[in-house]
Amino acid sequence: MDGTMTSVPNDMTPDDPTDDPTDSPAGRLTAGYAHVAGIFDEMMDDGGAIRPHWQAFLDGLGTMSPAEIANGWENAERIIRENGTTYNVYLDSGDSAHPWRMDPIPALISADEWRHIEAGLIQRAKLLNAVVADLYGPQNLLTDGLLPPSLVFGNPNFLRALHGIGIPDNAWLNFIAVDLARAADNRWWVLSDRTQAPSGAGYTLENRVVMGRTLPQMFRDSQVQRLAGFFQALSDHLVAMTRSDDPVIVLMTPGPHNETYFEHAYLARYLGFPLVEGEDLTVRDNRVFLKTLNGLRQVDLIFRRVDSEFCDPLELRTDSLLGVAGLVAAARAGNVIVTNALGSGLVECDALMSFLPGLCENLFGEEQLLPSAATWWCGQDRERDYVLENLDHLVIRPTFSSRTILSDGKDVVVPAQLSPGERDRLVDRINRRGYDFIGQEILPLSTTPSWQDGALHPSPMALRAYICADGDGYRVLPGGLTRTADRIDAHAISMQQGDASKDTWVLWDEPVSTFSRLAAPDHVLALRRSGSNMPSRVADNLFWLGRYAERMENTARLMRSLVLRLAGEAGAGDDPQTLQRLMTILVDLGYVRQRAARRAVAAGIRAVEREVTNLIFDHRSTTGLLSLMGDLQRTAALVRDRLSGDAWRLLNNLHGVTERHATGQTLDVDDALALLNAMVEELAAFSGMQMENMTRSTGWRLLDIGRRIERAGHMAKLVRELAVEGEPETEGGLDLLLELGDSTMTYRTRYLSAAQLPATLDLLVTDETNPRSIAFQAAVLRDHIAALPRDAELASLTRQEHLVEAIASALKLADIYDLCAARTKRGKRARLDGFLNDIQDQCIELSDTLARTYFSHAMTVRSGGVSGGGVQ
Amino acid sequence: MIFDVSHQTTFAYAQSVSISHHLLHLSPRLYDHQVCSRHSLLIEPPPTIVKEATDYFGNPTTYLTIEEPHHELNIVARSTIEVKPPQYVAPERTPAWESIAGMLKRSTERELLDVYQFAFDSPFTQSGNGAAAYAEISFPPGRPVLEGAIDLMNRIHAEFKYEGGVTDVHTPIDTVLSERRGVCQDFAHLQISGLRSMGIPARYVSGYLQTVPPEGEERLVGADASHAWLSVWVPESGWVDLDPTNDVIPGEQHITVAWGRDYGDVSPVNGLVLGGGDHTVEVAVDVAEVAA
Repeated sequence: MDGTMTSVPNDMTPDDPTDDPTDSPAGRLTAGYAHVAGIFDEMMDDGGAIRPHWQAFLDGLGTMSPAEIANGWENAERIIRENGTTYNVYLDSGDSAHPWRMDPIPALISADEWRHIEAGLIQRAKLLNAVVADLYGPQNLLTDGLLPPSLVFGNPNFLRALHGIGIPDNAWLNFIAVDLARAADNRWWVLSDRTQAPSGAGYTLENRVVMGRTLPQMFRDSQVQRLAGFFQALSDHLVAMTRSDDPVIVLMTPGPHNETYFEHAYLARYLGFPLVEGEDLTVRDNRVFLKTLNGLRQVDLIFRRVDSEFCDPLELRTDSLLGVAGLVAAARAGNVIVTNALGSGLVECDALMSFLPGLCENLFGEEQLLPSAATWWCGQDRERDYVLENLDHLVIRPTFSSRTILSDGKDVVVPAQLSPGERDRLVDRINRRGYDFIGQEILPLSTTPSWQDGALHPSPMALRAYICADGDGYRVLPGGLTRTADRIDAHAISMQQGDASKDTWVLWDEPVSTFSRLAAPDHVLALRRSGSNMPSRVADNLFWLGRYAERMENTARLMRSLVLRLAGEAGAGDDPQTLQRLMTILVDLGYVRQRAARRAVAAGIRAVEREVTNLIFDHRSTTGLLSLMGDLQRTAALVRDRLSGDAWRLLNNLHGVTERHATGQTLDVDDALALLNAMVEELAAFSGMQMENMTRSTGWRLLDIGRRIERAGHMAKLVRELAVEGEPETEGGLDLLLELGDSTMTYRTRYLSAAQLPATLDLLVTDETNPRSIAFQAAVLRDHIAALPRDAELASLTRQEHLVEAIASALKLADIYDLCAARTKRGKRARLDGFLNDIQDQCIELSDTLARTYFSHAMTVRSGGVSGGGVQ
Repeated sequence: MIFDVSHQTTFAYAQSVSISHHLLHLSPRLYDHQVCSRHSLLIEPPPTIVKEATDYFGNPTTYLTIEEPHHELNIVARSTIEVKPPQYVAPERTPAWESIAGMLKRSTERELLDVYQFAFDSPFTQSGNGAAAYAEISFPPGRPVLEGAIDLMNRIHAEFKYEGGVTDVHTPIDTVLSERRGVCQDFAHLQISGLRSMGIPARYVSGYLQTVPPEGEERLVGADASHAWLSVWVPESGWVDLDPTNDVIPGEQHITVAWGRDYGDVSPVNGLVLGGGDHTVEVAVDVAEVAA
């Protein structure tokens, strides 16, 4: 076929002289392949022979031992887990992010077949674009009788507000998807068109990345068409549409609760567009602006993943919280491009498919190249009668469903499975409101090999192909998202039901371009234009990511020290004073309530241990580690397009570490220490990566500011807790303080003596060279804040500059001996306490001031929906 | 008859609003039966942007954006409108209701297409089988369409209780059906939904009702407020207004502001503000007859 046979190693010659097919590498792999009669199989023909374009791949795969393949498979699953590839399923409770399921055997398509599909898809994209442009414009298709008006007027995706909007060059559809399946007759059929905001392209890319690493040799040898060129063309096209040299293009997402948020973030990163939500945008003067740290920046193009009707609560769905008020007006004025153009969902209605051949003939004078799955729209008498006569051989679906037949089995009625009563009701509804229903042929999907239990098994498959506008024409992604069903009888494949996906290899017969946008797949994302496009919301989340990471590390360190003091050689045993002391620390630092602590101390060591155990293992403890972990994960998820792959992997590992330890009632010291050590290590790695791998962008500064403020505040709190009262030198407070401040070794090498108060405080509070000291945090904060965008006109210090100067100079001028020496009659070091209290307060105010200055994005509140007075 | 209409909407916000966008349907539309001799829109604080436009249904609209901080927004629309008496259509002489669906389905004429679009479900008129089952009773086979539509109006008026405050703009029709109460908007949506389920085009009309009751007659509900009713399409005659709230065929006392598929298309004031916190709204409508 295409020369890839050369990849077969010599010691595994395919032309084995015995001529027994099961003796060849490919033969051994396919010997037990249970190909279903009457169904087209992608790999094997009816006679059991391997189709030519699969031969080289199978020969290559056959040279790998089952262990090697299993290894590759595990590798793939690990990459998916580590990259955090997820597909959210809306569930009522619990964790809604499910790992993406991927199969390590790619779907193979030969070059000749692909050329046919490609031409058909390009024609289809042109046709759909022409239809949507006409229906939002002159509606000649209606007045010429080429399309029934009810398909338009009854279609909830026909958005009246967009009629007559006028899109430059009629470029309505710039990125669409088409679901394809192969029927028993060997032909590819279109199951549905996705023109609204098609999903899956990000998963397609991710599958390719994973495959490239799972079967690297085979990928290289197979002359697989690369995907990067398509996305480059898409990106270039979007830039060209703006007619600007340096446009601001954003990818608009409904947010992290959307089932495909992962890929929104993934695509945003891959294409280099900021990922924004509706509230990041604002319309002023009929123009759309992105709220950034540096103020408002005008947006030229919105690549949307939000359904049209939700995009503008002023003119479209007024109950939408995802949109931008005034967006339609801005688009109408030609001040912003939204793509796919608002309203484009109009043509993703399956009932339209039966009219496409006629439209193609009429508009282009061409025969439609790719047929659509047989669809009868009951809005026409003849079609309705056919459907009613053939109910048992069809599925019935709502005409204007937002789902595809592949979606999830919802919105699909199989009349053959209905009770007589249900069936009568269905017939009655079809008779009354025929235009609401379509009948579709049950298409037996072709099968393609998947890897199950160490062998190849046929799985029903469908292919989602992607088409983007490219200059005047269209271009097809060579490959796409192949989805497979677990059940062999499946005729509807769903991602939501947890079926698998796989990479799609278009095997080319000419040399392929190896241009790749993914040259460094794990590169740390910097902001393309030095952070000037960073949405305020993202800035806010990065700041809190820094704070949560630091807070979690502080908590883990504290728990570790407490566990060591409760158990082991230095254990508290049943010494009530020590128990009391430990619980007081937990109460004062806000981890345990006063009453619970009192009860625990009275009940003895087991009860105290239980309190600590809960803080470490129990996810219901709102102040505990797992709850902090949740905060950290959620915040990280909100900015995942800003985190490097490595950083994200570390956070996922951290999650994994906590998952492996179950809630216990008694304190298992080894278990607790293992968990806490692992946590501290992962967090240290995360902060190290932040220091070493992130460019010094505004985003990095905000992350670090969050961390520094948290650390300074925490240290001030710890010193107040452990060194203000009593005699910390002899009561162990200083040792604990040094331990928590990770400065025990520094102290020992410096002083070679037991801890003394002034020396300890110098190290932890005023020593600018100790990265754990408050003074160190203040110095770093001063640099960061000076580098943040500020109003150049402002002559005086901003409030945040003032605050950080105040903290830094107070620390510089502090006389530690003096602060330690001054004691009240009861022995309290009141000046030290007041000094640290001020620092704590200033840290809080600094945090609030930064939030007000940089992150504030007041909630959008509706005032509308008023129709008048009493009689409405 | 000639009327002076004033429609004032006042929003008061607990906190400062930094930016607000509003889309207004407050300028009465002009058509065969209505002439507007004077119209003014007073907005306080003065908007940064005001843009007049015409929506998809041909209604005049106003977009406004206020970009300066404000605690209150006051919108006053004043119009002087002459309403002409509608043409009388004899209900018993209108075509049988069944003929309409078939006639429209095959039509490709622009004018009929414009009618046909009002025969379909729209966001605020969706109902299970409730509205259809309710409407069916008024449409035995062969009944003239307007006769059936008037009967449906009579029944809604007789069987539903007018009661403010129990429904809002988002109350589903099926709830109104089961509770048997609501306000003008609900009754209009219910009848529209019922008519459309029979394949008969119907549109939602937003407007006002004259406030001064003619001497010796009962005061009509809907005074001093904006009002809503519907139009049903009758072949050859065109659109005929029906007011199920008051069980009348609107004459010169109903002033039309805008029409659309439902409330959502013609909401008088629709807006979005940034900031603001809690807010209150006050609406005052005054309709006064002017001596001709």
